[in-house]
Amino acid sequence: MADLFDPDRLSRCISCGFCLPACPTYAMTGDEASSPRGRITLMRALDAGRLELDDPTLAEQASLCLGCRACEPVCPAGVEYGQLLEEWRGAQWQGRRRPLIVRALVLLVTLRPAHRLAGILRRAGRRKADDADQLMLGCVERTMFPRVSRAALTLAPGLAADPDQGCCGALHAHNGEPERGAAMARRLGDDLPGTIVTTSGGCAAHLASVIGRERVREFSEYVQDQRFQPVLIDGRPARVTLQDSCHLRNGLGVWREPRRLLQSVADYVELPSAATCCGAAGTYSLVRPRESRTLAKAKVAEIEAAGVDMVVAVNPGCLRQLRQALRRHRSRVRAVHLTEFLALSTKGPHSS
Amino acid sequence: MFSDRSLSTNVLRKLRSVVGNENVRTDPGVLEAYARDATPLFHAYPQAIVEPDDAQQIAEIVRIAVEHRLPIIPRGSGSNLCAATSAQQGGIVLTTARMRRIDEIAPAELLARVQPGVTTAALAKAAGEHGLFYPPDPGSHTVSTIGGNIATCAGGLRGLKYGVTRNYVLGLTAVLGTGEIVATGGRLWKDVAGYDLTRLLTGSEGTLGIITEATVALLPAPATTGTGLAYFADLEAAGRAVAEIIARGVVPATLEFLDRRCMDAVDAYAHLGLHATAGAMLLFGDDGEDDQVAASLARMRQACLDSGALSVEIGGVSEAESLLAARRCTLPALSRLGSLTILEDASVPRPHLAEMVARIDDIARRHDVVIATFGHAGDGNLHPTCVLPSAEDTEAIARAERAFGEIFRTAIALGGTITGEHGVGAAKLPYLAERLGPAQTALLRRIKSAFDPAGILNPGKLGS
Ligand SMILES: Cc1cc2nc3c(=O)[nH]c(=O)nc-3n(C[C@H](O)[C@H](O)[C@H](O)COP(=O)(O)OP(=O)(O)OC[C@H]3O[C@@H](n4cnc5c(N)ncnc54)[C@H](O)[C@@H]3O)c2cc1C
Ligand code: SF4
Ligand code: SF4
Repeated sequence: MADLFDPDRLSRCISCGFCLPACPTYAMTGDEASSPRGRITLMRALDAGRLELDDPTLAEQASLCLGCRACEPVCPAGVEYGQLLEEWRGAQWQGRRRPLIVRALVLLVTLRPAHRLAGILRRAGRRKADDADQLMLGCVERTMFPRVSRAALTLAPGLAADPDQGCCGALHAHNGEPERGAAMARRLGDDLPGTIVTTSGGCAAHLASVIGRERVREFSEYVQDQRFQPVLIDGRPARVTLQDSCHLRNGLGVWREPRRLLQSVADYVELPSAATCCGAAGTYSLVRPRESRTLAKAKVAEIEAAGVDMVVAVNPGCLRQLRQALRRHRSRVRAVHLTEFLALSTKGPHSS
Repeated sequence: MFSDRSLSTNVLRKLRSVVGNENVRTDPGVLEAYARDATPLFHAYPQAIVEPDDAQQIAEIVRIAVEHRLPIIPRGSGSNLCAATSAQQGGIVLTTARMRRIDEIAPAELLARVQPGVTTAALAKAAGEHGLFYPPDPGSHTVSTIGGNIATCAGGLRGLKYGVTRNYVLGLTAVLGTGEIVATGGRLWKDVAGYDLTRLLTGSEGTLGIITEATVALLPAPATTGTGLAYFADLEAAGRAVAEIIARGVVPATLEFLDRRCMDAVDAYAHLGLHATAGAMLLFGDDGEDDQVAASLARMRQACLDSGALSVEIGGVSEAESLLAARRCTLPALSRLGSLTILEDASVPRPHLAEMVARIDDIARRHDVVIATFGHAGDGNLHPTCVLPSAEDTEAIARAERAFGEIFRTAIALGGTITGEHGVGAAKLPYLAERLGPAQTALLRRIKSAFDPAGILNPGKLGS
């Protein structure tokens, strides 16, 4: 199976194993095959023709991997695992080998008219002068969490929000259609000229990898210099924690910004595993519900132990995962998006 | 000796009855993942992966293996650099992934008792929570297991002052190649009853017994740590500074050096802002009481300046951690320079360090290969690393191998050895007899057959 992978990318890994302790699936199984290094070994075997696409271990590992990219920042060799995984799934997840649920989902977000049907959209939508920075509405977020964009527009009133914008294609890229995912990102980049601001860490990382880092601002980066009033609960500062968005942290290196914002308005506590995937991981909660729940359960235990009022997410997938998990475990802690949380800031934005 | 590829259903059934179905795996993809460790150019398929969870299970697996003449290759995290876990003759890879329990940290006795699959960093952390300290810290400490550390007698970045793994192993429980379980040593600081089998098992690379539990010594954690960074025109000059430091009676915790190529690779990853033009750097560090550390750093600083350092910087605890972390990733960072990195592990008596560095340079030039060198300078332990543009270029690989052959012989000629800490494994077995001579080589064989008469434990390594 030649030509599946960029040869330079695939040859970068020297199998040192430094990535093993960072990988949540390796922690779960202790199995070399479900470590980043092991998966790269499998990709190489596929590339060299030692294993075929039908091999059950390949199928299992392509789906067990969260795609969280926690293995990237710890890799001294600079292996771009996320890209390799896209290439791998691009070959692996074709036709009948593609998980059924993935097929259904990708189809769903590809249907642009679906967004327009959701009435909330029009209200969230807002055209502005051509040189305004553009808020990306996100295909999942705009339907499931319309309040997130609304809050973003309140906090950053200068943003334009074109209601006709399409999907960035992150979901496609991560689920076996890298070319299409890239094409969709390029199209979105054309639709929304200038700087694109997004409230979704996953979209931010994908978009940046296609249209260039300089054109993409994740929301916490975008408002990092703004001053907000403290968020109070029962007259005391809210006690909050943050769940990183994997791609935002591991792909774009953005993790200090949301923390600084939260520290400036609330009593912030760091979760021991804040940087570790919560199990949402795009389509993962649907493709691998058991493992996804295992990760979520551990997360809820930590959140409970932290004694917080709220846990803040910077990506819609994480928000959904945390909300469901907290509900499942009958927790009183609420999960909110960063924009929703900042909007609670008693008097709204104050420029410094 | 060992033949057919796939194991008979009979053998598999027996193995499964010991550890459970899910802990015996033979899928081709899984075997692929275990066909290599961190050593490049070695690829060999095992026939099964077995994950036991205690000594009793391991003893039963050994008996099955003896009966069916199956090799057993013990494996921790597979981070070794000498193809020590390469299944050269097929067989069972026995992993310790399910044996990760820290059984005991005993502050009153300054020791810990752990299962072999615990990582070095996890043990160090657990000890730290009791104000204690487990000194051996191989560069791979977040990955490597205690079982692997003991079986390779791993060194690390604190070797000069604190020694290596062997200095901390008090007692071992191990399953021999006969299926017998032995407990050597124990919780005692003094115990001379019998041959020192604990030391013999340490560094035995899984060829004498499978370690199922280790009792290791701990120390009280030092109050503080400090580091300094000295830059030199070249690695030879840094090597002379090392000799000077030690000649002045300083025995620091850390003395590591990197040449220019290594500095560039590390900085590309860690963004430390290292000196842009210096030919080499020396990272020195010490730990202990505040004033003692300050005094030791000052003396090292002076020794560096007197040996012609271009500049010297002294840093605090936070710098110490990031510098050491960066130093630890030198090897993988070097792979940024090419597609294939082959690393070696020659060790020479300290006074010959500078000379060895110069000889390596000369060898690299003559064989027309790029060699970047870093290492545990304080221990006289060098890691010349050959970086090749392509893993397919067999001609270049052959040149690199000739260069390394010469490096080993030079090290031996200078009173040194072919491996300081990474082990012999399958990778260096061809050079072992040269280092040991015929009488010792024969003795190794006899020791091997006493522990493992059927020759099933990691065959093709050390004394087999
Ligand atoms: C980037 C990098 C840096 C490194 N830095 C250092 C360093 O500074 N110093 C150093 O010494 N090494 C270093 N190493 C080498 C390696 O990490 C060590 O050899 C380590 O001790 C291996 O541990 P492991 O758990 O990965 O063992 P493995 O690689 O799995 O096994 C190593 C050997 O131990 C045997 N073994 C494992 N578990 C057992 C057991 N329970 N019973 C019996 N035998 C067993 C195996 O059969 C094999 O022979 C480095 C490696 C890398 C990749
Ligand atoms: S991906 Fe990076 S860290 Fe992991 S084994 Fe490969 S080189 Fe090492
Ligand atoms: S992407 Fe996440 S789950 Fe997948 S190999 Fe990397 S660390 Fe492991």
